[in-house]
Amino acid sequence: MEVTQLRRTPRLTVALVLASAVVLSGCTATNNGNEPGGTTVLKVAASAAVTTWNPVTSFSTEALYMGNVYETLIWRNPDGAAEEFTPGLAETWAASSDGLTWTFDIREGATFHDGEPVNAEAVKLSIEAAKAKGGASFIWAPLESIEATDEYTAVFHLSYAAPLDLIAASTYGSWIVSPKALAAADADENYFEEGKDAGSGPFTVDSYTPGSSVVLKRYDDYWNKDALPYYSIVDIAITPDAVTSQQMLTSGEVDLATNIPLANVKTVADSIGAEVRTSNSPFNFVALFNTTRPPLDDPMVRQALSYAVPYDDIIDVGAQGYGTQSRAAVPKGIFPYSDDVPVYTQDLDKARDLLAQAGHEGGGFDLVLTYASENSAEANFVPLIKDAFAQIGVDVEVRGELFNQQWENAKADPASAQDIFVLYYWPTYSDAGADNLWSLFHSSEAPFFNLSYWKNAQFDTMIDDAAVLSGSDRAAAQAKYIEAMNLLVDQAPAIFLYDTQAILVSPPDLNVGQFNENYPFTTFFAPITPAS
Amino acid sequence: MTLFLLKRVGTSAIVLFSLSVIVFLLTRLIPSNPAVIYAGPKARPEELARVTAELGLDQPLYLQFFRYLGGLVTGDWGNSLATKRPVLDELALRTPATLELLAVAMLFALVVGVILGVIAARRPGRILDMVIRFLSIGGVSMPAFWLGLLLQVFFVGALGILPATGQFSTEIKYLSPITSVTGFPLLDSLLTGNWVAYSDGLAHVILPALTLAAYPLGLIARMTRASMLDVAEQDFVFTARAYGLREGLIRWKLALRNALPPTMTIVGLAAAYTLTGTFYVEIVFNWPGIGQFAAGAMLAVDYPAIVAITMLSAAGYLVANLVVDIVQARLDPRARLS
Repeated sequence: MEVTQLRRTPRLTVALVLASAVVLSGCTATNNGNEPGGTTVLKVAASAAVTTWNPVTSFSTEALYMGNVYETLIWRNPDGAAEEFTPGLAETWAASSDGLTWTFDIREGATFHDGEPVNAEAVKLSIEAAKAKGGASFIWAPLESIEATDEYTAVFHLSYAAPLDLIAASTYGSWIVSPKALAAADADENYFEEGKDAGSGPFTVDSYTPGSSVVLKRYDDYWNKDALPYYSIVDIAITPDAVTSQQMLTSGEVDLATNIPLANVKTVADSIGAEVRTSNSPFNFVALFNTTRPPLDDPMVRQALSYAVPYDDIIDVGAQGYGTQSRAAVPKGIFPYSDDVPVYTQDLDKARDLLAQAGHEGGGFDLVLTYASENSAEANFVPLIKDAFAQIGVDVEVRGELFNQQWENAKADPASAQDIFVLYYWPTYSDAGADNLWSLFHSSEAPFFNLSYWKNAQFDTMIDDAAVLSGSDRAAAQAKYIEAMNLLVDQAPAIFLYDTQAILVSPPDLNVGQFNENYPFTTFFAPITPAS
Repeated sequence: MTLFLLKRVGTSAIVLFSLSVIVFLLTRLIPSNPAVIYAGPKARPEELARVTAELGLDQPLYLQFFRYLGGLVTGDWGNSLATKRPVLDELALRTPATLELLAVAMLFALVVGVILGVIAARRPGRILDMVIRFLSIGGVSMPAFWLGLLLQVFFVGALGILPATGQFSTEIKYLSPITSVTGFPLLDSLLTGNWVAYSDGLAHVILPALTLAAYPLGLIARMTRASMLDVAEQDFVFTARAYGLREGLIRWKLALRNALPPTMTIVGLAAAYTLTGTFYVEIVFNWPGIGQFAAGAMLAVDYPAIVAITMLSAAGYLVANLVVDIVQARLDPRARLS
């Protein structure tokens, strides 16, 4: 018999399993101990992946970390604040009356995390790098040159007037970086990628495990002693899945989660006694009509369809009610937003009348609508558009495609492209005139984001004029933009669906600062303190 | 044996090559622009043009493929479009976590599955057999992400005895940092006697491992039951009974040994299949392995990452098959390696 030979393996396995069982019985879920080694740790679950650590090229979700590690010359305050800006690395700044020359006085005594001083030369090199190779380099298009007139004065010369204060406060392409690191990154393009940083902000990057965690450490030499973080360590678990981050928050594994599934926000808040806070965000949804061919080349048909959309239901279904109807593609709280711009409300009779007037009695045409399938809000609300259009006799075929494919198809050839493109959009920096209105609706030879393929010379002139004015006279610029937005609503090259709201589940044991819609990807960790 | 191995390596190379052609073409033929993924959705046309040239995307597809193939052979698998780091580095960083999870899950599935299979085969059709059948079919049929959520709701939400997500608690890296020996953190904590980290890691691995084990466990239990029933009909079992050997000895040693080879075949294939199951499980449990990376890569159409992950999974299948053949030969001397 071969019985004896067989013994070894099973016995070893059983022994291992038993050993594990013994150890396990002694463990419970980890507690919230916040004081390892005398440090104070804030544990956070956030969905933000790092696509690059290079502050110059950064143009994605890593803005969450960048905003805590780097600083801009000035910070744009949230809508409703007493002042429009808060000084950052610049203490004061001023524009010439023609809006072509901007002078920034740089703060003395601030240092980068590598020990280098923050001065006008560092500002010059950082912005020049951003203009030359930034992911968002185009925001610096008006910039002609920067002059460091003395150690702490930087003068920006523009080739045409532009709102440089808004640009300098951008969440992309405006970080001030240590010149030493800029030189190192010139020599080795992957210099930053292990998680190195060279900012001057309240935190430094302590460690980075790709796809898993980012640990930020308080920078004790931070210039603004009043704004020194309470927590010496912020440990961020990169958690792409919202349900998972909800589990982490409710089970106490993290103190704060920045990404909770919309549908569960109330339940989660109730279960941990948290407060739900909403604020403006720069994100909105538009549905762009293909205006190159019948029947959507007729403004009356587009108006009819705009009247058919159930806006309130879409906000309820797409955003669980956390949203407001868009006014001409400019998100609420972002320049040049105005409550005076009109909106459509659902009126099916009026929609039918308009269709009849346009020669489409009872509808009778088919449209193809595309949306980004990875965007769950879009997936939730597009059926409402289909249903509503069906009621006025317009049949909609809905196609979900990965955004990247949806966009490639739309850019290829307008003549054979979709009829309606549902787009989730936000401005690169806080100027929705220069971005949303221009990018989505200014005419261009090849389509980019202007996926209505709309060409309107009057509109083009209006926003070109407004853009120039915005560098010197913001109020006049806004008036001009409002004129353009009225035209936009009237001509209806798109359906302006809704602006989303930012939602914060603020746990009872933390004081979390106000959300700033100008830095939508960033949760600022420095102001966070324990509630007691 | 050597000849057998050489042959297998040869056919594996052909399979992997064909696969690389198919996956490369599939990921590149869908209307999606890699330059957009690289530069970000809001990059302007000039920036896209620069990136397109930099990544060589303006060249004909066959040239791009040969360049890519050359890279595959020389160990340069390209950079992930989404993270801009070398794909091989990304995978190397995440593979230990996935393999540890897989190992724990398969160990659990094998031990429990075989035990359940043997018990079920004892009195087929009786209540215990029914219960085990219910469990194994349930395990095979239940979607992993759903089972994972249920386990979280029960063990974390209701009982509060296990952590919901992650590989280790955050505190571990401050209080009891793990010294790297093999690169597998759970194993390293055991080897270095870091009991705090080890017990914490074990507590974290239980729920994802259980979720992942459901499918192979059900399969192993069913297969073991079936082959135990076959073996029970054979002459040597009657002979052993006639000699008066104890029933337990007959069942757990004699019969089981003869029933194991078919089960082992299933184990190998199930392990390879379970590797792809980690895609869902890692997301639900925020496990920092290749599954999470794979899911992100697919959504972003990050083609260098997708090709690399597919190649790795395929290699996993091939190796699992090879191991199964070798183990089977050890268990059953009649099965020659040929």
